[in-house]
Amino acid sequence: MKSKTSHYLQKFSIYIVLLVLFVACSIISPYFLQYSNLINVTRQLCVGILIAYGEMLLIVSGFLDLSVGSVLALAGVYSVAVYKSTNSMLLALIVAVFTGVACNLVNALFVAEFNVPAFIATLGMQQAARGLALYFTGGQNILQLGNFVKIGQGMVGPIPVPVILVICVTVVIWYLVNNTRYGRSLYAIGGSRAAAEASGINAKRSIYKSYIINGVLTGLAGMIFMARNNAGLPNGAVGYEMTGLTAAIVGGTSFTGGIGTVSGTIAGAFIIGFLENVMNLIGVNPYIQQIIEGAIIVLAVAFDVVSKSKKSRKVIVVKETEEKKA
Amino acid sequence: MKAKKIGALLLTGVMAFTMAASVNVNAAEQKRVCFVARASADTFAAWLTNEMKAEAENYEDIELTCVSGEADDNKENSLLEDCITKQYDLVIVQSNNNAAQAPYVQQLVDAGIPVITTNPTTHQNDLDGGDDTSVMSGTGTVDADPIAQAQVGAARAVEEIPENANVVVLRGPSGNYHAEKRREAWDTYFFNEREDVNILYEDYANWNSDEALTLMESWIQSGTHVDAIISMNDNMAAGAIEAIRDNKDYFNEDGTANFLAYGVDGTAQGCLLIKEGLLTCTALQSATDLAKKNMEYAEKVLNGEMEITEVNDYVDAPEINKENVDEYIQIYIDNGEITEDALAE
Repeated sequence: MKSKTSHYLQKFSIYIVLLVLFVACSIISPYFLQYSNLINVTRQLCVGILIAYGEMLLIVSGFLDLSVGSVLALAGVYSVAVYKSTNSMLLALIVAVFTGVACNLVNALFVAEFNVPAFIATLGMQQAARGLALYFTGGQNILQLGNFVKIGQGMVGPIPVPVILVICVTVVIWYLVNNTRYGRSLYAIGGSRAAAEASGINAKRSIYKSYIINGVLTGLAGMIFMARNNAGLPNGAVGYEMTGLTAAIVGGTSFTGGIGTVSGTIAGAFIIGFLENVMNLIGVNPYIQQIIEGAIIVLAVAFDVVSKSKKSRKVIVVKETEEKKA
Repeated sequence: MKAKKIGALLLTGVMAFTMAASVNVNAAEQKRVCFVARASADTFAAWLTNEMKAEAENYEDIELTCVSGEADDNKENSLLEDCITKQYDLVIVQSNNNAAQAPYVQQLVDAGIPVITTNPTTHQNDLDGGDDTSVMSGTGTVDADPIAQAQVGAARAVEEIPENANVVVLRGPSGNYHAEKRREAWDTYFFNEREDVNILYEDYANWNSDEALTLMESWIQSGTHVDAIISMNDNMAAGAIEAIRDNKDYFNEDGTANFLAYGVDGTAQGCLLIKEGLLTCTALQSATDLAKKNMEYAEKVLNGEMEITEVNDYVDAPEINKENVDEYIQIYIDNGEITEDALAE
């Protein structure tokens, strides 16, 4: 019985952290549990979750994307500009997604074909995409977005449009990761690329696919981001790569590759979101907020890592015992 | 035939010499000025850079080079060091962080290069940490007075904000001269006058509308009505307003806003919000005027008409409100930031 409880504790450690935080927030602020606040937090997290999915797919296979904030801004301002000149949301969406995919294809090209470390390739793209966004807009915000804002601010009944979009994307990403050959190849490549390739997996193709999916997600996130802010902000989303990376890592994605889940990424995003929200609700000094946020993120990940390492040790001990018996 | 060839060669040589000489004369006549901007990703710094470039075209005797510190003190300091290496005739500096750039501004002064600090001014105490708040020794300044800018909104707010009102305050980056001085002005001209007013929340949104949006979305969850948004710039005010744009609690039955909002900068976005009745007022910080004055004084210093230390000027901070917003919107229509078609919608 004790071992079963321990097993569940280890398996669901990050969700336990999320639950504890949720309960604590409910006690700390009477406004936290309000429907409007929970919807609010969810809406605020939409852009971050989309980015985090992209980062999760890449990290699982041993890569990452540091250009996501800049590419998001570039895709967003292009999309806004196209919408303003055509009034077509479909064209705006196509341009946003195309921009995200194009930038990520360049990333993939350097990573897969020339073996440039993802850190360097995407760092270069980070600079280039931000420069393009600023050059395109002359550093100025694009205003008067009209109905474009609906994709970020609109509601379908009581649910915000971006939340519905993220739910749809979540289903697709979950399916891709858990029910396709591509999903299985990600974990195999992240575990050992050489072994994966020896077993017939086309690693290059998987890398391209991951960056393309990341580009689609970034383009969509760019549209939502600009619509939420009712302006095309070429200087927006600075540092969002860290938002995505943090959510994925807090959610249990291993930087060494091979480990990571969609549900864990969502949990990671909500842990950070709840934390920031409750501190804003109770008016914690902004400097103190940073200290608390940093400390809790590290503690949450430490708890998760320790739980999983105990589990791993246990498996090894059990296997060794079984081998001795045999 | 041979004489013709020699003649042609000589003629070509003379023409080439004349052209080269004229180029050299032009190059010798043109003074080289460098504008070191704070960051290209900063909306106002970008606007100022564009205006500086446009204004420089009116000065045939000045060749302006624009570079950007990209909000990185280390990078901006390196650019200032480069200005000494390249021996510019004059440098105009828009500091990212006054204290961080002050020693490098001093290096320029020591190298005999005239320096104008602009938006913000670099003060003597930025260099030596003392109490002397005068313009840094050996430099000139062209700036907008952050106290005067914030005073515009604060003076109105004293009369307009209802008794015992709940307000939220959005601040610019910690340590930024203009951000801190604007906030000080609100203390001096509003909060000290209106002790009945309660600051419900106050936080740094770092000039950014997306950060202000997120903060305001959380703050309104307390259910306490925010009677006024006090923002240190228009960008953050715009973000906070987006958070309540569709919230029925913030609008009367006739559709008018039941909150007040104050900004600074007089950006195109700020003007549009005033037109919509969502921003109460803002104070213009005109990059156009700053650029004009910077270039005008730069030329005078380079021509020996003025000493660099005599350059000490501040652009006006006119109030923009619903009565006069149309004339400012027209300026933004003329420069292409606002389109009439979208405005009509």
